[in-house]
Amino acid sequence: MKERIFPGTGILLLLALFLILACTHGDKPAGKPGLITIVFKHGKIAGDPRHFEDILRRFEAEHPGITVRDEILPSSTDEQHQFYVVNLESESADFDVFGVDVIWVPEFARAGWLRDLTGLVGGDEPRMFFDGPMQAVTMEGFVYAIPWYIDAGLLFFRKDLLEKYGFTPPKTWYELVLIAKAITAREPGIYGYVWQGKQYEGLVCNVLEFLWSNGGEVFKDNSLVIDSAENRKALSFMHDLIARYAVTPPLVLSSVEEPTRHIFGNGRALFMRNWPYAWNAFQQRESPVRDKVGISVLPAFPGHDPASALGGWQLGVNRYSRHPEAAESLVRYLTSAHVQKRLALAVGYNPTRKVLYRDADLLRSQPLLGDLYQVFLKARPRPVTPYYMMLTDVLQPEFSAAISGIKTPEEALESARKQIVHILGAAQ
Amino acid sequence: VKDDKSAIRYVSPALALLSVVTIYPILYLIYLSLRRNLLIFHISRFSGLDNFRFLLQDDRFRNALENTLYFTAVSVSLEILLGLSVALLLNRRFRFIHLMTALVLVPWAVPTVVSARMWEWMYNADFGILNYLLGLKIDWLGSPAWALNAAVLMDVWKTTPFVAILLLAGLRTIPPELYQAARIDGANAWSIFWKITLPLLKPAVLVALLFRTLDAFRVFDAVYVLTGGGPANTTETVSIYAYKVLFRTLQFGYGSALSIVVFLCMAGISLLYVKVLSGGVEK
Repeated sequence: MKERIFPGTGILLLLALFLILACTHGDKPAGKPGLITIVFKHGKIAGDPRHFEDILRRFEAEHPGITVRDEILPSSTDEQHQFYVVNLESESADFDVFGVDVIWVPEFARAGWLRDLTGLVGGDEPRMFFDGPMQAVTMEGFVYAIPWYIDAGLLFFRKDLLEKYGFTPPKTWYELVLIAKAITAREPGIYGYVWQGKQYEGLVCNVLEFLWSNGGEVFKDNSLVIDSAENRKALSFMHDLIARYAVTPPLVLSSVEEPTRHIFGNGRALFMRNWPYAWNAFQQRESPVRDKVGISVLPAFPGHDPASALGGWQLGVNRYSRHPEAAESLVRYLTSAHVQKRLALAVGYNPTRKVLYRDADLLRSQPLLGDLYQVFLKARPRPVTPYYMMLTDVLQPEFSAAISGIKTPEEALESARKQIVHILGAAQ
Repeated sequence: VKDDKSAIRYVSPALALLSVVTIYPILYLIYLSLRRNLLIFHISRFSGLDNFRFLLQDDRFRNALENTLYFTAVSVSLEILLGLSVALLLNRRFRFIHLMTALVLVPWAVPTVVSARMWEWMYNADFGILNYLLGLKIDWLGSPAWALNAAVLMDVWKTTPFVAILLLAGLRTIPPELYQAARIDGANAWSIFWKITLPLLKPAVLVALLFRTLDAFRVFDAVYVLTGGGPANTTETVSIYAYKVLFRTLQFGYGSALSIVVFLCMAGISLLYVKVLSGGVEK
């Protein structure tokens, strides 16, 4: 049999190639000439999507000639980070404005991926925001992203049980242990204090809160002080909560936020460390702890100030954006007081602007904001450094080893110090 | 095949496609692994074999490799044993056989991330169903002694059906006359299994072993969702370590070196199996 390639095959292959090329160059923004489209990438916005849709349409109405397309990324923070890294590394201009996690700002800024937005917060503006997020977005005097909404760790407590046994919310960690021991001894089936101890980013937040509330630091005046006596004491206290005082059940060693919220929400824990989002679930009609929950700033070690780990999202502008001015105006709009207020009312995102915590409408709809204000004032960013992701990659397993008793706090902190020194050395 | 030249013409489009999507990335990976490449510090320079030298004395890599080998050895052996038992059961004739086969396949059909999430809740020390059923208070994912075994158990649950179906296909190819003849000769079930079923099933077992070993060695999603590598990296596998280095901390040079080691291990495993496999078929 004589073989020859069917002539149609070649044509089909050419056609396929043409189609592939057409696709790669085909996604020019559709729109009228003279009209700018800016793309806003971000994680999923909670609640009814229509509210945010509305906010964006309003922006378009106020800025004729600009349309906004918002594109939602997977909700996992790691996946979002990966998306931005891959795209920004290849200098992609496919998106203009994007949501930046509080720990990414220095990294992205150092890589040269974020447009300098210092001009957006001139004069007194920086003081309108909480200190924590402002510190997190500022590198060597330049502002690389604008705080959009804020999150911070706080203490949830069962106010009915505290009242029943005549206690007030604890101010120090030792008070917390005493209260928890006293109440759990008389209330069967209830844990003392639950928090998040799985090896993940949340663990770093939990541990830093203990270290900070004992006057400890990771860096002090640019030198590494992770293996300080303060840190050793705070870290061994965390292990003691589980192993010695038995106030914290070992199950926290594999817990992230949701399982602890679940336990507390079913009335099975006296104290819990979590983020503000947990509150709404406790106020549902069918919730067993409805109207029985109070919140406060986390306790501290005697003689020290409490601190909570800062979370939340900022808005940045892609350095490779083709429409930087339009992008900046969207950032200015979304972080303005009136849009933050609308977002707070509609989907419960906590504003980064302090003035809104005295807003009568907001306080009426969300009475919790008054208490949260105190927490957010104490919110501190995790170490603001470009190599934060490398740092946390070292801290997570070491902290995990220390609280689960695989290593002593001394060993874990010493090992962390060595590895961080190696990272810093590699940076030279 | 009559004409070798025309054969090459037919496979050349496929080869071209393969080289674009496989060979080029591998070459680029090797290029990256010879560089010191830290995006955030604007560092990108040739560093020779430094990455590989560091890898040899990297405790975390050794720990990850040990975890991976343990995970692979234990999960693959259990899967083959259990898969074989299930396949033998399904190879009988009874009512609802098709329904049973479909049911057995369910765990395999569930996406890994979904089943890992499911198991995470089942493993929960406080309200997980596993502790409830066993009447225990084990912190499956939080205690260093249990965490890796918990991941193995989930993997066994998930992929035993895959092995079972592969082996079932192998069993169906064994001619029933052999069994009849053996029975006439007075062989008992035990010797039939050892003398007829197992030798004839060898190619299918090897194929299942090959697939499963490769999959298990590069396990990522199941363990990543269950434990994220914790507690204290006791469940961190080589793939998870490489992922963290590559995409979380952006050390593309060292991450590529790690990936190359994974790649070489897998190539070695495949070659070994393929050698055994071709030997088995020729017989």
